[in-house]
This record gives sequence, C-alpha cells and structure tokens, in this order.
Amino acid sequence: MTPRQDGRPIFMVLADQIADDILQGNYPVDSAVPSTNELAAFYRINPATAGKALGRLVDQGVLERRRGIGTFVAGNGPEILRAQRREAFHEDFIRPAVAEARRLGLTLDDMVALIRKDSP
Amino acid sequence: MSSPVRHTDTRGTAPGHTDGQGIRIRNLNKSFGKKHVLRDITVDFAPGRVHGLLGANGVGKTTLMSVILDHKFRSSGEVLIDGKDPRENARLLERTCFIHEDQKFHDDDTPSSLLRILPTFYPSWDAELAERLASRFKLPMSTRTAKLSRGQRSALAIVIALAARAPYTFMDEPYLGLDPGHRALFYEEFARAMAEHPRTVILSTHLIDEASDLLENVVMIEDGRVTMDADIDDAMDSAFVLRGLEPVVRDIVGTRRVLREHRLGNILSVTVDGTATAEDRRRAEAANISVEPVTLQELVAARGMRGTDDAVMSS
Repeated sequence: MTPRQDGRPIFMVLADQIADDILQGNYPVDSAVPSTNELAAFYRINPATAGKALGRLVDQGVLERRRGIGTFVAGNGPEILRAQRREAFHEDFIRPAVAEARRLGLTLDDMVALIRKDSP
Repeated sequence: MSSPVRHTDTRGTAPGHTDGQGIRIRNLNKSFGKKHVLRDITVDFAPGRVHGLLGANGVGKTTLMSVILDHKFRSSGEVLIDGKDPRENARLLERTCFIHEDQKFHDDDTPSSLLRILPTFYPSWDAELAERLASRFKLPMSTRTAKLSRGQRSALAIVIALAARAPYTFMDEPYLGLDPGHRALFYEEFARAMAEHPRTVILSTHLIDEASDLLENVVMIEDGRVTMDADIDDAMDSAFVLRGLEPVVRDIVGTRRVLREHRLGNILSVTVDGTATAEDRRRAEAANISVEPVTLQELVAARGMRGTDDAVMSS
C-alpha cells in the first residue's frame, strides 16, 4: 500500500484510490467493487482498514451494499465524486501550484499561459 | 478431539469480530534472578485485532509473549485470556499458537510430517490453507527441517501460524531470513487470513514500516515497561516531522517537545511530539518548511531512543 500521504490514515488513501477508479470508469455504475477481503489481500493491509475505506464510500452514497451479493457503484456515485473533487480542486491543485510557481518565479501571466497550453 | 471447533465459519462477518474476550494483563512482573525483565505491565489486547508489539531488542517482547502463554513463569501479576488464567489450562492453550523467532523443529520432522501431525494440536487447523501456503512458499515438503534454510524455517512457521487459525496467535519476529518477495507474500496471506477468519494476533517485528499497514493497535515496550498503547492511526497522529532551515523550524516548534532531530547541511529535520495544527501548516508553507507525517518506524525510534521524561527540549 502507498505510504500515509499527507498524514492521512490508510483507509482514506484507499478510499481515494477506489474513487479514482470509479471516476476513470474502471468500475462503472452498477458494477461490483472488490470486497473487503480482496482489498486486504491485494494491498496487504488490515481487513478492518479495507472495510473502513468501503464504509466511507458507502456513507458518502458513492457505493451501495447489496445484501449477500457485494458492494456496487451507486447510480449517482460518479457525480457525487465529481462534485467533491470540484470542491477540493482549489485546495488540492491550485494552491500547491501557486506556491510552486512563486518558488520558481513564475508570474500569474506565465501560469495562465501554461494552463491555456493544456486547455482544449 | 472434544474441543469445540472455533472460527470455522466467520467468513463474511465484519472483520475484527471474534467470540473471545481478549487478553487482560495487570501488574505483570517477571524477573530472571536479579534481572527485572517485565516491570508492572498493565495492558489489554482487544479481541479480533492485530496488535503490533514493538520495541528495541532485549526490552522484553519475547518474554512478555512467553509469560502470557505460561511458557515462562511469571513472578507476579495477573494474566487472563478469555477471562481465564492460562496457567496449566490445556483447554485454553489449545486456542493459542505461538511461533518463535528462529522457530525450532524436531530435526527428523519434515514439512510434510509436521502438516500431518499438527491438526491434532490445533482444533481449527485448515489443511487446505496449509497446503496452499506451503506451495506458495515453495517449501521442500520431504526435506528434514534440520536441512531447511533459515528463510524456509520461517516460512514453515508462518504456514503453521496461519493454518492453525488459533483464536490467539502470537508471532515473534516471524520472518527472519525471508527475502522481500516472500515477505510480501506473507503480508498478503496474513491479510487474507485475518479477513476470512478474524483472530487476535500479537506480532512483534523489526520491519515496522513494512508491517504497519497490517496493524490496528501498537503496544510499545521500553525497558520492560509499556510506554505506548494506542490505535495505529492515533499513534501516527501523535507526532509529526518538520524539515527545513533550522531557525525557522525551531521557531515553528516553539516550546513543544522534540523527540528526535537530524541535521543535513543547513537542513534540520525534527520529530515533534503532538499533532501539527492548521497554524503550523500555514506557517510552514509560507516559510518553505515541509510538514510530514511520522512513519511508525520513526515514531518507535524517536520515542524509544529516550525515556519519556528526558527528551530534548527545543530552545
């Protein structure tokens, strides 16, 4: 498993990884995500941690448990994740980019030009 | 066997759930002659969880495990497993499995003969798992244990510990001599075994960061005493690392306790007792100081290097 990035507990890192897979379409709506046991063995982490990661996404409405079958991507799961990520976009991407730009002596205009280069 | 077979069908139940009451230790002391090895240990090992027993060599980890299971006599104090005293309690000890650092086997035994005999001693033995693990670890089944390499003996001990499915499993430095690939295999199979058949595990290891993702609770022993007993996430939250130019780092640390520090050129890296605040992060970011989480290895080293009272104060 990846180290505890930013000091976040592993279950949050794992929940984000599953969320990434959902947003990238690796787990489409209505498809099953791996079980607690599969996640624990694959990432070599404590099963309670794996269960907490799934539980977090269930609580957010991204995943839904179907009794006796497994855990599935909810119909509006991807949309919930996109809304969360839009909200975190400033904190997660813009602020660190601005801080790095300042260290490198890039101006706001330089940054805007760089963003334009990669924008459709 | 007349013993009840436990944990045969916990598949699908919530991880961490078992039917045991855990291990309760109160004021436990153990001396070897004049040498006081365990000093007034009071700690609970909650049932169904994986506990990391951490600390430097010679602090008493192995002795603690041996005394809990009555392999060594205690000098004073109380030990209860499932609410019962393990002393001369065969029924209770049947629910336990203890594999040692550098586990010894009878020289004439082979992995194959051991896997045939052991189900007699472990009521919950999983023969299918034992075979699968033996094959994944590529154990030479008909080689006498005297001829096995250190890594192969460790692998054999691991196979036994996981297949025994004992509700109380003790693993003391279980993977000495195992190469990184086989250690990864151990972590995977350990996680799977815990998911499918939860049990209470006490695991001691030097490869702390490698194993930290498997732990739920950490108990740290220093000089025969318990100095930390915490949920792993709380433990990781109990210190943080600041790295950058010394005066700025010192300024952010303020009067807080520094557990350990390293210097590289002008750069100072300090492990600070406590949790980084939003204010710390803001000031650090403004001054190009990095704020990093502590690793479990660093935490144990930092707390274990000095006693709890004589850590260096920042100036």
